Amino acid sequence: MSDMKEAESAGEEEKDWAEAKAFFDSLKSKKPRPPKPRYAVTIAVSSRTLFDMTSERKIFKQQGLEKYAVMSVNARLRALYPDSEELFDIVLMTNNHAQVGVRLINSINHYDLTIERFCMTGGKSPIGYLKAYMTNLYLSKDSKKVQEAIGEGIAAAIMFTPDMEVELSDTQLRVAFDGDAVLFSDESEIIVKQHGLDTFFEHEKRFENKPLAQGPLKCFLEALGKLQRKFYAKNERLNCPIRTYLVTARSAASSGARVLKTLRSWGLEIDEALFLAGAPKGPLLQKIRPHIFFDDQMFHIEGAMELGTISAHVPYGIGQKYNRGKLIEENPQKQ
Amino acid sequence: MNTDDDVKQFVTGVVSLQKDPSRAVVIAISHDAVFDLKEEQEPKAPAAASGVLNPGPGFPFVKAVQRVNEKLVEKNPNETLLFDVILLSSKDRPKSQSEVANSIKHYGLEITRLCFCNNENFTSVLRSNKVKLFLSTNTDYITKAQDTGVPAALLYGQRGTATLDQLRVLFIGDSLGFSEDTTDRPKDEDTGEDQLQSVQLTQSSLEDLVALIGEMRRKFGRENSPLCACLMTVCSPRNVCVRALKRLRAWGLEVDEAFCLAGAPQSRLLAHIQPHILYDHGLQYTLDVPALS
Repeated sequence: MSDMKEAESAGEEEKDWAEAKAFFDSLKSKKPRPPKPRYAVTIAVSSRTLFDMTSERKIFKQQGLEKYAVMSVNARLRALYPDSEELFDIVLMTNNHAQVGVRLINSINHYDLTIERFCMTGGKSPIGYLKAYMTNLYLSKDSKKVQEAIGEGIAAAIMFTPDMEVELSDTQLRVAFDGDAVLFSDESEIIVKQHGLDTFFEHEKRFENKPLAQGPLKCFLEALGKLQRKFYAKNERLNCPIRTYLVTARSAASSGARVLKTLRSWGLEIDEALFLAGAPKGPLLQKIRPHIFFDDQMFHIEGAMELGTISAHVPYGIGQKYNRGKLIEENPQKQ
Repeated sequence: MNTDDDVKQFVTGVVSLQKDPSRAVVIAISHDAVFDLKEEQEPKAPAAASGVLNPGPGFPFVKAVQRVNEKLVEKNPNETLLFDVILLSSKDRPKSQSEVANSIKHYGLEITRLCFCNNENFTSVLRSNKVKLFLSTNTDYITKAQDTGVPAALLYGQRGTATLDQLRVLFIGDSLGFSEDTTDRPKDEDTGEDQLQSVQLTQSSLEDLVALIGEMRRKFGRENSPLCACLMTVCSPRNVCVRALKRLRAWGLEVDEAFCLAGAPQSRLLAHIQPHILYDHGLQYTLDVPALS
């Protein structure tokens, strides 16, 4: 993009933004206005993610809790930084036809959700629109769309909701991430799968000081970190309403150092790093009670859900070709 | 002024449809939007053939409209609800007339008339030709048409990127979605008497236009329609967008795609939506959209 075009589009953005700001500020209702997308942490959700329409249970209640936590973070950010645009923003991104979409908005109204922006594509793929809305994270139940989004460089995951209802904090947003193939690339996982654990340990020790390449959710962690630092700046570290966790099958002794050094090299912090050395993730997650847990392997997603953790599958990397450690037989025609 | 003298009939030679004047949706478009008439400058691309002009920003629109007509006639050979595209031209470029005629033939465009007008008779030419929609890249002309009660829209799009397969119409819904008695209305809206009158004048013609487009749209299913209606609200909250959707529905048009921006930058989204035309009354919410690349 040429410099002039950048300047032009920045100018246009300013104008759009100023108009909306003026409009919302002048409304009779004291509705909080949505933040400026360039600075906001924008989460795009599909309609099925927002309203589990196939189920009678109050799945929505759980989703709602997540939203309450998010809104609580926003409320505290607004209190500390009244003029800042660095807030969470949730956008409804659906490929429903607009006429169907109206019913979704009715539900949003009914549950009084703070979702001001939406995009109803009338059947077209929403992927292209994600960038137009400056999406930092896309959550959907459609694995094809999520894969496409990841392919386009957008952090994305497939939402799964557990059967159990677990009580979650509505004042602190907790986000848990797997390491390899989620925050980091799958380069190390490839070694494990193809050469076994011993080679993996050797390799990680040898390359301890070489940062891993980034994975699909790295930039979302970055976005969360940006918001967290705003609380730290106002001495709210102990009371920060956002908390991040790394939940990895790596072990601290043999392969953990590289992960921590990589994060440090990226200038990113994670509040708690939990090295399970291969132990199941479910019980630990049950203790942490994150609002969402990202992992690339369905095996871990299933384990997490069994014990009540809302999980999101990141369909990225070599883990997709394996099921519980065994290579899924490729269709011979593909080779 | 004898409008007959000022109207040049074209025999298109491709599809010559006698449009039923009572049912045809007449769309007037400035001829220098359909073709690139810049003779003075270096041509951007070599001319398609000698005596033939290069396509302009309105060209994809004309092609897309043509496809809608084809599909309508496919469904019903006796269909009378069709688009009727006419060109407007100012008289002081007689040289280009033959080029325009040649170009229309060359590209197989279904254009039935070329009407001459100038600043003074612009409005009466629109009226006498029963124009239901005026299109231009010139915001002054658009405002002028709207002020006299003719719905007018902006031609959007960069040459070469707009689709020819589907006519995409975008309505900016911020002013369509207002209602008197809600908390979503700004506190002190300062609307002058003249502005109100002009809005009301265009409103009823807009309703007619929307009803006709809606009727055309209904002849096709949700998928694979050659005509697609989109709605976007630029700075209003979500309920304004929903009200605009419902209002259009009440007028007879079920919008396919809806976008509520609430202040998010519109140019990125517009570049993705790629509408052929953008309707925004008073051009209050639209930036200078790129009609020429």
